[in-house]
Amino acid sequence: MRHRRVILFSLFGVVIAVTVGLLLLWALGYSALEGYAYLLEYSLLSRTALFSTLSRAALLVLLGLSASTAFASGALNLGQSGQFLIGAMAATVFGLFVNLPAFLQIPLSLAVAALAGMLYASIAAFFRRRFNMNELIVTLMLNFVADYFTQFLIAGPLFEEGRQSPASPAINASGWFPVYKGFDTGILVALLAFILIYLLWNRSKTGYEWTIMGQNSIFSRIGGCPNEENFTKAMLVSGALAALAGALVIMGGIQHRFMPGIKANYADDGIMIAIVANNKVVATAIYAIMFAIMRTGAMGMELETGVPLEFVHVLTAITVLFVVASREYSQYLIDRFSAFLRARRISSRIEDYAGRDSSGSMD
Amino acid sequence: MHSDFIQMRSIVKVFQPATVALDGVSVDINQGEIHSVIGENGAGKSTLMKVLYGMVAPDSGEIYFKGQKVNFSSPRDAVKAGIGMIHQELMLIPSYTIWENVVLGAEPANRLGRLESKEARAQVQALVDEYDLGLSIDERVADVSVGARQKVEILKLLYRDIDTLIMDEPTAVLTPQEIRELFRWVSQAKAAGRTIIFISHKLAEVLEISDRITVMRRGKTITTVENKGLDKSFLARAMVGRDVVFSVSKPPQEPGQTILAAENLHYTDADGQKKLDGVSLKVRRGEIVGLAGVEGNGQFELVQALVGLIQPQQGSIKLKGQEIVPLPISKRRELMSYVPQDRKSWGSAQPLSLQENVIMTHHMTNTALQGRLRWMLSRRKTRQLANTIKEEFEVVVPNIDVPFFALSGGNQQRAIVGREFMLDNDLVILDQPTRGLDVASIEYIQERTLQKRADGQGILLISTDLDELFSLSDRILVMYRGQIVADLRPEETSPEEIGEYMLLGAKGGDNE
Repeated sequence: MRHRRVILFSLFGVVIAVTVGLLLLWALGYSALEGYAYLLEYSLLSRTALFSTLSRAALLVLLGLSASTAFASGALNLGQSGQFLIGAMAATVFGLFVNLPAFLQIPLSLAVAALAGMLYASIAAFFRRRFNMNELIVTLMLNFVADYFTQFLIAGPLFEEGRQSPASPAINASGWFPVYKGFDTGILVALLAFILIYLLWNRSKTGYEWTIMGQNSIFSRIGGCPNEENFTKAMLVSGALAALAGALVIMGGIQHRFMPGIKANYADDGIMIAIVANNKVVATAIYAIMFAIMRTGAMGMELETGVPLEFVHVLTAITVLFVVASREYSQYLIDRFSAFLRARRISSRIEDYAGRDSSGSMD
Repeated sequence: MHSDFIQMRSIVKVFQPATVALDGVSVDINQGEIHSVIGENGAGKSTLMKVLYGMVAPDSGEIYFKGQKVNFSSPRDAVKAGIGMIHQELMLIPSYTIWENVVLGAEPANRLGRLESKEARAQVQALVDEYDLGLSIDERVADVSVGARQKVEILKLLYRDIDTLIMDEPTAVLTPQEIRELFRWVSQAKAAGRTIIFISHKLAEVLEISDRITVMRRGKTITTVENKGLDKSFLARAMVGRDVVFSVSKPPQEPGQTILAAENLHYTDADGQKKLDGVSLKVRRGEIVGLAGVEGNGQFELVQALVGLIQPQQGSIKLKGQEIVPLPISKRRELMSYVPQDRKSWGSAQPLSLQENVIMTHHMTNTALQGRLRWMLSRRKTRQLANTIKEEFEVVVPNIDVPFFALSGGNQQRAIVGREFMLDNDLVILDQPTRGLDVASIEYIQERTLQKRADGQGILLISTDLDELFSLSDRILVMYRGQIVADLRPEETSPEEIGEYMLLGAKGGDNE
């Protein structure tokens, strides 16, 4: 029953957000319904549109799961963007210097990227366990380190001679994700990761211990769970997921090289998705797909109706606000209202009683 | 004596989302009487008094004070009208001296707003002398006993010229001696014309000091009676709604082998406070060892050292002959069951379901819960276990997916005790297992504890409730300043004797 309620509140939030978006478009003088129609058309209604939405969704699912796995177990990993870049760089380096048959090259390249992301996240886990340093701050700072370090690499050691701007050379073609009729097989990596993470959270001992630790770490400690180990595990899994997203950007798509700006806003979106999804695995995937639809469709909307691309950012912000706020606040309002009704029922019953029995004795 | 001194009429209070705390409660308090409000935990006693004190706004109902309708919107208004309240948790600043705590919020100041400390101090001293409270007012609150802190709260109200005093379970944390002294003071205050409202669930105390008694049950006033010719069973029946057994039956039993042997434990905390000062104790099979003591004398640290939450600097702990000091909590929990004193923040994860809360520790120790692979947990088997605990320990919930916070305190504790007892370890540590529970749950948990004893398991029971210690324990140990100062059999001692050890560390104060 509680689950249904949660879903209901989330839907309510989405509906409100969409309505507010409509009003906003209408107030700005655009044809609102038409805009939405193009948004859907350019994100879902053709094969290319659908596949490019799915490619984007794959990245957002991985980054969203990275954030929600960390947050739900109480590990505040905000280093998705750093781990993403390190993962992308690891895949690039591997793809530049190793050349194996594709059936080995692709999984190995993914494994190397995931490992690099784990290593990068483990720095924060180590500082937390050894010196009790706040992982939130350490991971945030390491984002800058990753950013400048990768920029240095593509401007220096990995710079492709003859280019106008910094970028690495393209990786060996054996490491490219095969594309079937526009469908980037990298998407399957995200699907596989989603299934594994779902099993981890819902079927494994570690997932159970993460759940308890995320809600009350003293309780899990007293219960005998190895909190410190579980914290490290959560950081590592979170780092690996973010790094896989980085690898997907290099190994999929058309460029196949590390260029400035590849991280775009993916990492921040991932954190936002985790927050909207309340760190739940399935909800994270659903919101990731929804965000991907909006981001991809936005270009079509701009093309056809002139609604600026940035409008979608406003729309996602509104969605976040309404979903998160309605989750917390509508529960509160409903509770308050039901308490009020209950109190009124009791008072009126007492009055009836006093009216019938004017002596007023109560027992 | 005015009979229309305080009248509360049809007070209704519903807490969110739908907890009916006060279901149309009416009560009259006469001037100059000691009026007890009794009821089980959760009956609404404290809420009713917080409504009178302006701390909780009622949803409906009226309050008349000295014939006038009043509507206190904050405790400040109530205090101004002369009504004061002492809460269960004392509200003092530990690092301030006693007199500073007393004047805080009502400081005498000169025209420039500067504190007239000399004058304030003198006023406080005068009150201490007048009421013979025996406090030295320059001591810091952090350095004095719980009993003394309670006196400071009383002093605060005297200083503000309070003539109606609400005391919420004042005896819960006191030793028998301190309770004597409190009662002496309460009678004295009554003689001086003050009105005292005394909230309690301890029937003997209520019968001893009250003029009139109001009984509450599930948010309703059941009756208000003159305290003449009443007895405990009458009050208990009114309070619980059925007959209550006052003592559980404990058949005599010879204890078996030693299960737990702690030797010479020393622990000094991060602030340099010596919390354990050479503690040694033994718990044998089929034996309940009770641990008494004023809170803060090292009982809590002892439990933490046994469970593995703190590392004693010296000493050994042997469990079934095995040294466990070097073992981590996870290994120790394979050998001992532990019910922590704080069921909300230590014993459970409140937002999660009953099922998730009761499989804790089982998920590690019980290999039968594994799924197809070793790292998995079988959904079917964990649900089965949760249902078994729910049935076996009579946890009243519609199903095991209900979030833990939605359970009443009694049901939460049954679930926690059920979880720990089902672990089936030979050593059980119970830290305040029945504090704050309803009578039915207390009886139930005490019976299950005795059953564990009959099964031949060793039990260490820490409790501030001396009645509980006397009815369950085979031996009662008393802790005082990090040492165990007494080891007595309940048949051969009395609550007063235990109280002396709790307060002074020795009989007749011959320590030091």
